[in-house]
Amino acid sequence: MEMGKQELIKEEIALPQGLSMDEFHEKSHFWGRLTMSMVIILSLLLPLYLSFVSGYHPGWQPIITAFVAYAAMVGYTWVIEPISYYPTLGVSGTYLSFLTGNISTMCLPAAAAAQNVIGAEPGTKKGEITASLAMGAASLVNIFILSIIIAFGSFLISLIPPSFQTSFQFIVPAIFGGVLAQFAFHKPINGIVALAVGIIINILPIVSFAKGIICIVITVVICIYLEKLKIQKEKF
Amino acid sequence: MEKAMQVATSFPVWVFAIIVIGIVVFQAIIFIKLAVKTSQSVGMTRTEVKSALKVGAINAIGPAMGSMIIAISLITFLAEPITLMRSGVIGSSAIESAAASLAAGAYGTELGASDFNEQAFTTVVWTLCLGGLGWLLVIVFFTKSFGKAQNKVAMKSGRGKVNLMAVISSAAMIGVFANLASGEVMKGFTNSIVVITSAISMYIILFIANKRNLTWVKEWSLGLSILAALSVGYMMTL
Repeated sequence: MEMGKQELIKEEIALPQGLSMDEFHEKSHFWGRLTMSMVIILSLLLPLYLSFVSGYHPGWQPIITAFVAYAAMVGYTWVIEPISYYPTLGVSGTYLSFLTGNISTMCLPAAAAAQNVIGAEPGTKKGEITASLAMGAASLVNIFILSIIIAFGSFLISLIPPSFQTSFQFIVPAIFGGVLAQFAFHKPINGIVALAVGIIINILPIVSFAKGIICIVITVVICIYLEKLKIQKEKF
Repeated sequence: MEKAMQVATSFPVWVFAIIVIGIVVFQAIIFIKLAVKTSQSVGMTRTEVKSALKVGAINAIGPAMGSMIIAISLITFLAEPITLMRSGVIGSSAIESAAASLAAGAYGTELGASDFNEQAFTTVVWTLCLGGLGWLLVIVFFTKSFGKAQNKVAMKSGRGKVNLMAVISSAAMIGVFANLASGEVMKGFTNSIVVITSAISMYIILFIANKRNLTWVKEWSLGLSILAALSVGYMMTL
């Protein structure tokens, strides 16, 4: 056993071309920006093609009207989501999850679960690499399942009884409850504090887009304070 | 409606959709490769790398199934290529379907209506594509600055002090989900019960898994919690 372990360590050291964390970040910026820029260009080319090559241009007025309405609905999240998720997602996670989408329902839970299994804390180097691996795999599975849905979706839905289809609406609340408990498991006080903050914020008449960021800021401040208290206690 | 659908399923639209999805897949593979290469320098074993990939894959199943019904309703209105392109990138199917009906309304028709023509479809595509650009542009231009800010925080928290970045990250995550879960709790009794059932299931599952040291149970913990909560939700709506 002991020999086997040593050999394994030797083998891992001998592996060529390992990247340092800084190199990882540098390459992540490069590939992240490249892939996202490509999607940006394609997102402009498709409607331009339909409007001016195929000749179905509806006029700018309905486009602008609809876009302004869309921006009013989710525009604030264009800035708030990247900022508030960044500390958890890290560099590579930000590029990954904002391209593939479903951040709060898929990417973050997948990253958190993987960090939990491995015992890596979010915000550490190991935590970030773990999150990237988990979110990369999640993204691939999501696209795979989406492709199946696109190909056979209507048929699949007809197999599921309608009474059971209605319970699909509970998938999202179930994800949120489960992930919260996953964190509360290791830091029960933080979880309880956060939930209390969340419920108070949701009861108070605060504009909906500000709720998320306010809850994050208050929770972070309280958790840092709790952590400092703990360290002071250990000192004395 | 039929003409709009012909455009929506035309060859060029398929090509655009498949290239976009191809980029998403390519990016995921690139990042997995980079992370695997970096794994040793941060002290991860090969078993841990495999486990991280496995857990990520398992945890995508539930959420992907969750968007199934909305995705299928999008297919009936916008056909397959646009649904694939818009659900695979950034947008959740829920936001996209809301935005699609907004756009149809702006053109003066409705999704699925008989006067939903090629122009109405083009309006929808413009809206969905421009709408998704917001996030992409912010990420492309500002992620580097976020990184610099993070490094500053990491420098400040030197030896012996609190690892500030780790505390901020996990607290931010708890804050995100506390807010999301509270929002669901406020939606009503059934949703509250679903949130609570899932939370309790997760606690019990993790407790057992930790005590008996069962890694595979931890890997499936979220999936199992979702199933338990769904069953309770299902029984409550009967």
